[in-house]
Amino acid sequence: MIMLTNLVAVMATRLLVAITHFAPGLVVKHGHVVVTRKIFLGIGPVGKAIFYVLAILVIAIFAYGWIRRVKKYRKGRPAQRKLLTSKAKSPVVVPNLDHLEIKDEQLDIPLGDTTVSTTKSAQVQNAGSNSSNSSVMTAVATRPTLGQGIENIASNKTIKSRNKGVGHAHFLVFWGMIMLFIATSIVSLDYDVYRNLTYLFTGVERSFYKGTFYLWYKVIFNTAGILTLVGVLSLMFRRKNSGEPQLDYTRAEKPKEGYSRKSFVAGDWLFMGLIAALIITGFFIEALRIDGTKFPPFETWSWVGWLLAKGLYFVGVGSSAALSAHKVLWWIHAAMAFFFVAYLPFSKAMHIFTAAANLVVTDPGSARRLPKPPESSDHVGYQNIKDFTWKELLDFDSCTKCGRCHYACPARTVGGPLSPRDLILDLRQWVDRVERIPMVLDWEERPEASGPVLGSFAKEIAGDVIKEKTLWSCTSCMACVEACPVGIEHVSIIVQLRRRLVDQGNMEPSLQKALQNISQQGNSFGKSARMRSRWTKGAGVEIKDARKEPVKYLWFVGDFASFDERYQALSQTLAKVLTEADVSFGLLNDGERNAGNDVRRIGEEGLFEMLVEQNLASFASASFEKIFTTDPHSLNTLRNEYPLFGLEKPVQHYTELLMELLESNAIPVKSVGKNVTYHDPCYLGRYNRVFDAPRNILKATGCNLIEMPRNKENSFCCGAGGGRVWMDDSYLDERPSENRIKEAVQLEVDYFVVACPKDFAMYSDAVKTTGNEDKIQVIDIIQIIDEAFDRSVLPEKV
Amino acid sequence: MHIIVPMKQIPDLVEELEVDSEGTDIDREYLKFVSNEYDEQALEEALLIKESTGAEITVVGLDEEDIDQTLYTAIAKGADKAVKLTGTGDGWVDTHTRADILASWLSGQSFDLILTGVQAVDDLDGQLATLLGARLGIPHAAVVVEVQPKDDKVTVRQEFSAGMAIEQEISLPAIVGIQAARQAPRYAPITRIRQAMQSGGLEEVAANTESAGSGLSIRRLYLPEKAGHAEMIDGSPEDVADKILELIRSKGLLK
Repeated sequence: MIMLTNLVAVMATRLLVAITHFAPGLVVKHGHVVVTRKIFLGIGPVGKAIFYVLAILVIAIFAYGWIRRVKKYRKGRPAQRKLLTSKAKSPVVVPNLDHLEIKDEQLDIPLGDTTVSTTKSAQVQNAGSNSSNSSVMTAVATRPTLGQGIENIASNKTIKSRNKGVGHAHFLVFWGMIMLFIATSIVSLDYDVYRNLTYLFTGVERSFYKGTFYLWYKVIFNTAGILTLVGVLSLMFRRKNSGEPQLDYTRAEKPKEGYSRKSFVAGDWLFMGLIAALIITGFFIEALRIDGTKFPPFETWSWVGWLLAKGLYFVGVGSSAALSAHKVLWWIHAAMAFFFVAYLPFSKAMHIFTAAANLVVTDPGSARRLPKPPESSDHVGYQNIKDFTWKELLDFDSCTKCGRCHYACPARTVGGPLSPRDLILDLRQWVDRVERIPMVLDWEERPEASGPVLGSFAKEIAGDVIKEKTLWSCTSCMACVEACPVGIEHVSIIVQLRRRLVDQGNMEPSLQKALQNISQQGNSFGKSARMRSRWTKGAGVEIKDARKEPVKYLWFVGDFASFDERYQALSQTLAKVLTEADVSFGLLNDGERNAGNDVRRIGEEGLFEMLVEQNLASFASASFEKIFTTDPHSLNTLRNEYPLFGLEKPVQHYTELLMELLESNAIPVKSVGKNVTYHDPCYLGRYNRVFDAPRNILKATGCNLIEMPRNKENSFCCGAGGGRVWMDDSYLDERPSENRIKEAVQLEVDYFVVACPKDFAMYSDAVKTTGNEDKIQVIDIIQIIDEAFDRSVLPEKV
Repeated sequence: MHIIVPMKQIPDLVEELEVDSEGTDIDREYLKFVSNEYDEQALEEALLIKESTGAEITVVGLDEEDIDQTLYTAIAKGADKAVKLTGTGDGWVDTHTRADILASWLSGQSFDLILTGVQAVDDLDGQLATLLGARLGIPHAAVVVEVQPKDDKVTVRQEFSAGMAIEQEISLPAIVGIQAARQAPRYAPITRIRQAMQSGGLEEVAANTESAGSGLSIRRLYLPEKAGHAEMIDGSPEDVADKILELIRSKGLLK
């Protein structure tokens, strides 16, 4: 008890002393005192020599690490990424995306021997359309300019986009570390360069690290240090306590021999811990120095160090104790800093450079417009390490394991063996093992070598490093590319690997059957090409053949809308509505072939090219101004990939056309008055940024749109894309479409509105298999329009 | 081991077949022709043998509509050589004539094994392999689902009804009609087929068309004719029973 009173008394006294010490510090006139600090305080000449030797060694290791990595990137194939985007050439207007300029280099990609000419002639004269369907292509779908890339890096906006809190915390660490690097550089510039140079030329050692500069320096970088610490501690707290699924490193594809990713976790904590420890020890060194040098009054500008020093003094650390502790802690701090620099290129910390570089060279549009298979190779698709482009090798090194793709991926969500995160990490580890680039932690361990651990024992990437089933699980929905904060392009990598599987004939029989059907009959249903337009017989209206008479719109119907028995009635409805709205349109009938979007994403490039040739020949035989399509998948390839083969006509989705017709009052509507939710098809929304047209239709027809939690860019795939519709899905825990319907049912709406024939089929099934038939009805947007169509006010046909 | 796989074209049955104006053949003018799926099974079995023990594969076909596509696809899948027997005309080649043409060419070849489809839509009784065996004077087995080379013989597995299977050894050279390969026929990527086409290499040989044929001539080819229609009887079970009884009586089946 006495001791306690004693302690309180002592502490109170010291607090008083501290306050009296502190107060004059704020107002002291510096007078003749030199306002600076001594560099290498108490380290001595031997210590200094050791320090510099270590520094050189560390820089050498750092350089070695980067030389190894850069050498690795240089082994990659060319990636068609010009760093600087030229604006000199005339801007190209992409059909239908009114007001949107696409950068030249997007259309510059040479395909075969042809370089694509600009499609200026194909500009839309959209009479009836205005801003309604001008969904602006946001950064995700187009290649950023150098300026935008730098802005993305500096603002951390790609990190903020999916998680504001994490984004802000990272922003603090990002800028804090840059500031602290500047701080250290300033000291080095003064002490190592300026001091020596002035001595060399004037005989007197000079320093600018003093006076007012010193004071500003101290207050600014003390603040930067504290903000960094706040940031990194927040991130550590989040990682420890949030329980977010994307931070769980459990693999989606579980090797039967087992695996351990403990070192991933250790790597994360080492990285964050090092940053936190560097800052904390830095502040303590400063505090001990201030305490040890008896509180020079101007050091109040080093406000964090000063407060800490006061605290140390207060708990009984005197100046001599402080000085000796300073020496020890200084070395600890230096050792940690050296370790950090040396460890950087061999760990997660490398993303500081790789992710930044990747954000400048990224082209998220590579999923929209897939790259060609490597031309200069003796095999098709990716087989070995030489097949990767430098951009892809950089992709692998950019991954921070943030898990956003892992979380967003529909395959992973429903228990499939694909996680885009694991895919990238596996490829990175495999490449680094082959290239013998060591990593500090961040390795996955396996009791027996398999997958990425195989290193150079892997004969095939597709199959040995990444399992075939993993590659076939991709729906090509692009949710991973959309979610990735560092610009990784997962989809095109997956397709390149699939191309190898296709070349080797490694695919399941049902997929093979679909490809054979498409190759022989031009449709996946295996029906005769002449049956394609059979649905028109029940449409009740006469539909023109665009090859026989000129029309304004060529309706590219697509396989599902032509052959799927459930959807044929809806194609008839659309034909009826368009006829009533007096739209001039026609079909290619048996001249239409599967557009090849999914064929290409399966990896069957040869068949895709054949389909393009066949469709282009049919287009050439018809007379029309624009194309519209029912199928978002066809839309994507017709709009983005066909121009590279010579298509010069604008391509629209039927929702865009219908919205124009609503706006121009060609289709007068009355209110339907239903509660609805709307599902963005991947290839319409995420791929082609058409978010508004369908929503505006719903608004115009008096529907009360209630959004699902996962909407627009974040829409959840139905599971049909990328050829998945032709593959077995019985191995999944549930179908992605079922997962989606469960999400929609929560909203208690009348209609689940779709704008894609595949969606109509997938979700109609899912409503049944989840037993929600009495809760929600899947309905195509054309049915809404048909219901809302106020035919009584249509002008009389003359 | 040299394996020869005779392949043929058949009409694509997803198309609607029509009888031509003469009424003795299908109208071939606008028809699409595809490879006989059983021949594809035979080719797959040959490729599996090639992969496991090594073999040289030659595919051979008559100059029928789109046979080039089929032969080049075989090359794309791994066949070493393709031969097209020309001069066989545009119309249907009956199985006896086909067997003669093929046997004439085959007798000038050295081979160990012939694998071909056990049947085809225009040879549902599966005569081709049997006739070839007879013409060439070599052992024959039909409805085979697996062929395994064993020294100078092959072991073939045949499946019979009621889950019965039989394995037998055949000495070479031999001809085998394949019902199904050990695995589904592999996919031939279009790029590879196109590469094969670009590099050409289809050997064209004039066919010896001297053949007595089957000795049969087609009098009339026609679609199944409707033989009346069903009449639905409505009413209570008693009424229906009465009406049925009346019908049977009226047809004179019951007195």
